[in-house]
Amino acid sequence: MSKTFDRITGIVFLLIGLLFVIESRSISQSAYGSSVGPNIFPMALGIILLLLSIKLLFETMKYEHVETSKEPLQYMKFVIIFISAVLYAAVLEPLGYVISTFIFLLVSFQTMERGKWISTILIASFFSFGVYYFFAEFLGGSLPGFPEF
Amino acid sequence: MTTLDFLFNGFAVAFQWQNILFAFVGVLIGTAVGVLPGIGPMSGVALLIPVTATLTSGMPTEAAAASSIILLAGVYYGAMYGGSTTSILLNTPGESSSVVTTLDGYQMARQGRAGAALSIAAIGSFVAGIISLIGLVLLAEPLSNVALKFGPAEYFSLMLLGLAAVSGLAGKSMTKALIMTVFGLLLATIGIDAVSGIARFTYNFPILYSGLEFLTIAVGLFALGEVFKTIIERDKEDGAIAKIERVLPTKQDLKDSAKPIVRGSLLGFFIGVLPGAGATLASFFSYIAEKKFSKHPEKFGTGAIEGVAGPESANNAASGGAMIPLLTLGIPGSGTTAILMGALIMYNIQPGPLLFEDHPEVAWGLIASMFIGNLMLLVLNMPLVKVFAKIIQTPKKYLLPIIVAISFFGVYAVQYTTFDLYLLLACGVFGYLLAKNDYPLAPLVLALVLGPMIENNMRRALTISNGDFSIFVMKPMSLVFIIAAVAWLIIPLILKLKGRNVIINDEE
Repeated sequence: MSKTFDRITGIVFLLIGLLFVIESRSISQSAYGSSVGPNIFPMALGIILLLLSIKLLFETMKYEHVETSKEPLQYMKFVIIFISAVLYAAVLEPLGYVISTFIFLLVSFQTMERGKWISTILIASFFSFGVYYFFAEFLGGSLPGFPEF
Repeated sequence: MTTLDFLFNGFAVAFQWQNILFAFVGVLIGTAVGVLPGIGPMSGVALLIPVTATLTSGMPTEAAAASSIILLAGVYYGAMYGGSTTSILLNTPGESSSVVTTLDGYQMARQGRAGAALSIAAIGSFVAGIISLIGLVLLAEPLSNVALKFGPAEYFSLMLLGLAAVSGLAGKSMTKALIMTVFGLLLATIGIDAVSGIARFTYNFPILYSGLEFLTIAVGLFALGEVFKTIIERDKEDGAIAKIERVLPTKQDLKDSAKPIVRGSLLGFFIGVLPGAGATLASFFSYIAEKKFSKHPEKFGTGAIEGVAGPESANNAASGGAMIPLLTLGIPGSGTTAILMGALIMYNIQPGPLLFEDHPEVAWGLIASMFIGNLMLLVLNMPLVKVFAKIIQTPKKYLLPIIVAISFFGVYAVQYTTFDLYLLLACGVFGYLLAKNDYPLAPLVLALVLGPMIENNMRRALTISNGDFSIFVMKPMSLVFIIAAVAWLIIPLILKLKGRNVIINDEE
């Protein structure tokens, strides 16, 4: 476990708890249909979250320093795939499912391991066309298939 | 109608051709999910919810719910079968409930008895599946009759007990588990309040009015989180896969493992019924128990077949037992059953005591299909064990991006919004970071599913009592649940203070 990470999450959850407590005060207290309004539950939970994150912060003080074995982490691959996934989400509607999925898969396959272009192209196109035709044509689901001009 | 009549009707549902097909696809995918390291039953079920939702979209609601829950439950118990395969052949468990199987299973494989170990695991799982189903049939009716007498106060306390049990046993730090639980409950309050119709924490974003979609969060946290983890921390390339020569076990093997299978099934079933304790704990306890019962405890760890038969039966029985609180009380006891419950709620079917009265087709159809599914698994696993062993070799470079693409497709096909895709990606990152730092994810998902029900029951109870909170301790059943919930959280703390090691349940 990482001390820094736990400290940061402790503070983040503290703020989230605080936010819920403050914000639930501005929820209308009208208790229509119930003798307790819609603000009680989130406010109580917010307070509990506050207390728990304070407890977590105290616990991080007691951590002994643990030497974590450093393994080579492949952040570059992750960043490329993550960014292409974000772009995939962004272009899914304008560009249509088939093209955007094909591009996303091609980029990620090549990021995971370079080379073997033919098999990656085949798998990517098989998946994107296959899913689209099976879902939209065969099952009659609605999916933006291709860009609309 | 008697239980037998209901069961008979259940079989009528389960034998409809599309449901046989669904059960078959479910157990097949489940076995694959169990075999593939990296995808556990939880992310497997979460990933398939959108797929089943689209497959069943043309059917009437109740039939659609029955068919999809049949498929999803098939994935759940199929994964328990498949999990043993990698443990035995590769010494890497496919999911956490098969960790103890590696101890003796891999040793057996090294001695050339891989086939015997695999088939004993399959036979044990089958027997366990049937035993836990009989238990389910026998207990379903009486339990739901008891639960029918519950009022909102009892329900509120019972759900608290469920949450406490899962948080108390999940992960290394209870503080972290509780934080995740409370955070899940808070996330569940976002959206329009069902009782008063007031929008909470939506900040005028129309997309938030219906609340955060449970499916998106579950797929993101579990499936994508796992994918990101594998990309970043790429596991070392797997070692050589043991060869399978003879598939059938010898007579001596069968004789040695008969008793462990029965013991493991019974133990696993009762552990499975308890909320919070799941398949992982069940297999662990069964291993310890077999070692105690054995006349040659020194053989354990060197390839004793009892060490495979017991735990593998126990984890499968536990997954059957876990269906009991879900179906009869409407309280999931583990992450995977929480996801199954979310799937049922998506079809507007509320698990709980009324399920057996209002939707007998769904409840009994599911139970009957589990009989069929277990039989299919046995038939599939014995001859096809070599084929499943091949699945292990699926290259990760193709598998991981395709899982991302399936998650995208699933979420978009159900939600039709790009917002959910961004939420999905964000949950994936959080899922990776949180799981890496020992923040258990199962309590969060459980809380997200139970949140609205806990709040509504609390407010209904308080309406009855005119805002007096003592109603929760004045009702005897409710008081019992609350005491049990508190005990579940405090006893591990006391044990820890005394310096005892507390067994915890891994994510499953």
